[in-house]
Amino acid sequence: MEKLNRSLPPHFKTIEHVDIPKSKQEVLSNQIPVHIIAGGSQDVLKIEMIFNAGLWYQKSPLISGTCNSMLNEGTEKYSAAELAEKFDFYGAYITYNNSQHDASVCLYTLNKYLDETLDLLEQIIKYPTFPEKEFKTILSNKKQDFLVNREKTNALAKEKFNALIYGATHPYANVFEAKVFDEVKLDDIKEFYKNFYTSDNCRIIVSGKMDETVLPKIESRFGASAWQTKTSGIEPEHKLISSNEKKSFVLKKDAVQSSIRIGRPLFNKTHPDFAGIMLLNLVLGGYFGSRLMQNIREDKGYTYGINSVLLSHLESGHFAIITEVGTDVCEAAISEIYKEIDRLKEELVPEDELNLVKNFFAGEMLRSFDSPFALSESLRGNLLFGFDNSYYERFLQDIKATTSQKIMELANTYFQKEDLYEVIVGENKA
Amino acid sequence: MIEFDKFTLDNGLKVIVHRDTSTPLAAVNILYNIGAKDENPEQTGFAHLFEHLMFGGSINIPNYDEPLQQVGGDNNAWTSNDVTNYYLTVPKENLETGFWLESDRMLSLAFTEKSLDVQKAVVIEEFKQHYFNQPYGDVWLHLRPLAYKKHPYQWSTIGKCIEHIADAQLQDVKDFFFHHYAPNNAVLVVSGHVETEEVKRLAEKWFGPIERREITPRNLPTEPKQTEFRSLHLEREVPYDAIYMAFHMCSRNHEDFYKVDLLSDILSNGQSSRIFQTLIKEKNLFSSIDAYLTGDFEPGLFVISGKLTQGVNMMDAEKAIWDVLDEVSATKANEYELQKVKNKIESSLVFSEISFLNKAMNIAQHEITGQAEDINLEVEKYNKVSTADLQEMAQKILIKENCSTLYYHAKKQ
Repeated sequence: MEKLNRSLPPHFKTIEHVDIPKSKQEVLSNQIPVHIIAGGSQDVLKIEMIFNAGLWYQKSPLISGTCNSMLNEGTEKYSAAELAEKFDFYGAYITYNNSQHDASVCLYTLNKYLDETLDLLEQIIKYPTFPEKEFKTILSNKKQDFLVNREKTNALAKEKFNALIYGATHPYANVFEAKVFDEVKLDDIKEFYKNFYTSDNCRIIVSGKMDETVLPKIESRFGASAWQTKTSGIEPEHKLISSNEKKSFVLKKDAVQSSIRIGRPLFNKTHPDFAGIMLLNLVLGGYFGSRLMQNIREDKGYTYGINSVLLSHLESGHFAIITEVGTDVCEAAISEIYKEIDRLKEELVPEDELNLVKNFFAGEMLRSFDSPFALSESLRGNLLFGFDNSYYERFLQDIKATTSQKIMELANTYFQKEDLYEVIVGENKA
Repeated sequence: MIEFDKFTLDNGLKVIVHRDTSTPLAAVNILYNIGAKDENPEQTGFAHLFEHLMFGGSINIPNYDEPLQQVGGDNNAWTSNDVTNYYLTVPKENLETGFWLESDRMLSLAFTEKSLDVQKAVVIEEFKQHYFNQPYGDVWLHLRPLAYKKHPYQWSTIGKCIEHIADAQLQDVKDFFFHHYAPNNAVLVVSGHVETEEVKRLAEKWFGPIERREITPRNLPTEPKQTEFRSLHLEREVPYDAIYMAFHMCSRNHEDFYKVDLLSDILSNGQSSRIFQTLIKEKNLFSSIDAYLTGDFEPGLFVISGKLTQGVNMMDAEKAIWDVLDEVSATKANEYELQKVKNKIESSLVFSEISFLNKAMNIAQHEITGQAEDINLEVEKYNKVSTADLQEMAQKILIKENCSTLYYHAKKQ
């Protein structure tokens, strides 16, 4: 037998193409679009009802989130306790998501109980009663969670950073004080529901094990007639206001680590430079092998983790480097972060490193499209922008075509020090 | 039903293959039968620190992550009190890269001072981030030694204290490796879009040549039976009081485990559960509260942890928990309630089988505590549990003299 050479990596294949299963679109009689992603090995379904009812549409804080999480707190037919009892009995899960633009109710169910759980979903979506007692309990518990979260340096850093780049009251920052919890009115929640949880403001994504019986079941609960219509012309206007204050320090007494956020407002994923910026972000801090991770964690040992992210909102977006470091090395860590940013502006990313990042990214795409449920998650995000998951096929080709030269150009265009915001939360300034 | 093939190499490495062609990926999961419970009480945190060092380069491959990322792969690892688990996923075409990397670090590590120094610093930051820089972060550092007086479950995987990590020496690291990391002390599970014959060929090729090692025999002290109530009061800079109750119970592979698990579900799985409905919704005594099992391989804990609603007195909150527990001891649950939690278990097993990586980890854990085949008996074991079993477990476990309670007080402003 040939002696094994363990120093030599085995031959490997580069992923040239990621096969993204296509979603199919149907329309219910009342014009609600239904996007279908069929597949998976288990007899389970995920049915997500999505409404344009996120933070963007509320006239004051906490309205859209409270409305969303109160949908299952009692309906015309069932009390909150009865609903919980039934969902649990059928082994179904129901989740509530409230984001900047959309809000959704998502049912995970075994196919064999689809009829029963869809009946419950119909109650929640169409006939919620918003009882006063549950309203008080929910707000009081949310307030406690809010105040516990405020004890965390990373939560404070996120809040401050978003306030600086978007403006504190903008839905993309959504910063408010604890007293707001005591000021929310139940009538505002009910009104918000009436205006935004309507059949002409709704889309549905169904993913999982499909057969021909599923769609008619959805049609009979949600499609046969219009249930409530949207009131138009009541959407609040929002202006993005980035602060002139670029550096900020927030005191957190007795913190043994400081939270750091460095970044800037940026465009979203519809921008022609987005693929390039994505690659630039990966090289800098977007994966375990990134330069920030290798330098600040794996070489210096200043942190348990450091990463950088790109966030796409419908009307804006941002780039941020996020880490928590020992109080004593905060200044040194910040200086290394800027060194890594400068290096991207001054030196071309070597070909080997660029190829590695491109290969890693292709693998990430395989992983993130691995199940119908994961695909439905990406689809929800894309539908907001008006496209479907085929977006990622073009995107992967754009990533592959990006050169080191382009990355250096982008770093010089977007990562000028005077454009970057810097937030530190801890016991003392760096 | 999860199907798999199973074989053992001459050096003792157990290999299990689970084929799932719904994914274009493959997972390589290696579970080493070594955890924080195997540590010297004066050198705690070592198993977890060691997990970090496994990424610091092996004998023939200076960098673990780079070649994996090069082929589109990703990886991570975790350490518990019982075991250390390493996993990676790759596009199915590049499965061999996973074998190459995992076998080389089983063969031997690079053992450099630089890697040790850096990872000590990283783990110390991890310690601070998760245990000292979070509200309520240090609970387990106190609850474990309250519940365990002899057994090594008395310390967390992160270690008893930062000093133990700072003091680790390279020689200790080498000894630890050669006495615990070995083909005859591990289970390799390969799942996803793979063929058993190909996995067999790759396992023989890359892991076959690694020699067996002598494993330090496990000789853990037995925890003496708790005979009286224990308590501890802490005061911290947190916004609300919290309470943590820990009760001794059986191990994960004991037949009673299924009974106790369903008992905890009746109390706290889902919004219809007794604790949620009574203590949060009806009485508003807690803003959040949970009952759960640690699920350890040795006799573990049944834990109740709750954050009190502003203004609620600690004694009242504690009494309300005991009322719920006493009720489940005094009166049999009805058949409907038991059926409900059984349905939930069955459903959560179905959902957990969506992920090929998840399945690999579960198979490996079943193999190391008994045999992989047991994974398909779970539903049946849960279905056998009766309402009388639940009551019997409650009467045995949820009693004062088996309880350690940590009262976590918010410092008065």
